[in-house]
Amino acid sequence: MITDDQLSQLLKTALPAVEEDRPTLDLWPAVVRRGEARIEMSFADWSLAALVVIVLLMFPEWFWFLAYHL
Amino acid sequence: MPDGELLERFVQGDQTAFESLFRQFEADVYRWILRIVRERSAADDVLVEAFWRAYRGRARFDVSRSFGAWIRRIASNAALDHLRRARQHAGWRVADDRMPSAPAPDQAVKESIARAFRSLPPRLQIVAMLALVEEQPYAEIADALDLPVGTIKSRVFRATRLLRKELARLGVTP
Repeated sequence: MITDDQLSQLLKTALPAVEEDRPTLDLWPAVVRRGEARIEMSFADWSLAALVVIVLLMFPEWFWFLAYHL
Repeated sequence: MPDGELLERFVQGDQTAFESLFRQFEADVYRWILRIVRERSAADDVLVEAFWRAYRGRARFDVSRSFGAWIRRIASNAALDHLRRARQHAGWRVADDRMPSAPAPDQAVKESIARAFRSLPPRLQIVAMLALVEEQPYAEIADALDLPVGTIKSRVFRATRLLRKELARLGVTP
């Protein structure tokens, strides 16, 4: 039967050690880019959704046509 | 400690205030993430994701509370998401990543232990990593994961039970 201390010791030897450190790169630009990427995606999604709604309101009979293609 | 005015500006979406908070907390959050994910490149990605989630959810931040505790909670969730994805793909390397043609006995045991650990559900992996490997106090883990201390204790108990079972199955003894 492995005790808690033995289990903890086994895990410490098997898993990669981590050094107390900080990122080697400046990650701030990546945070900014991440935000910009999400905003662009979100805008594209909303634009497409708005377009689909407008088309369906104008031509409700196109529902099955759009359902097949989207 | 960031001042109230800086936090107010952050909540209102001021990017300069956000950058200032990022610079202030980046190292602390990075070390926390690294303890969970154990890999530098993954820690970089999780850090970026955590700060981005914080900015996106800034309206929910209560400026009378600690920003450090809030961002650590977000980072813990982002790290947990990383563990879920990593489990679906490759997972961790073991401590010694030399690649001999046939694994040495020690290396084989380490691989078995790492495999047993990876087989845990991610929500158990994260508490086991923080409690058993990093020896963080239960209260601190509970705060970071936004869970009651009792839940952390029960998850550590379940993780150790599953690990013992899996290590016994793999024939690993101390």
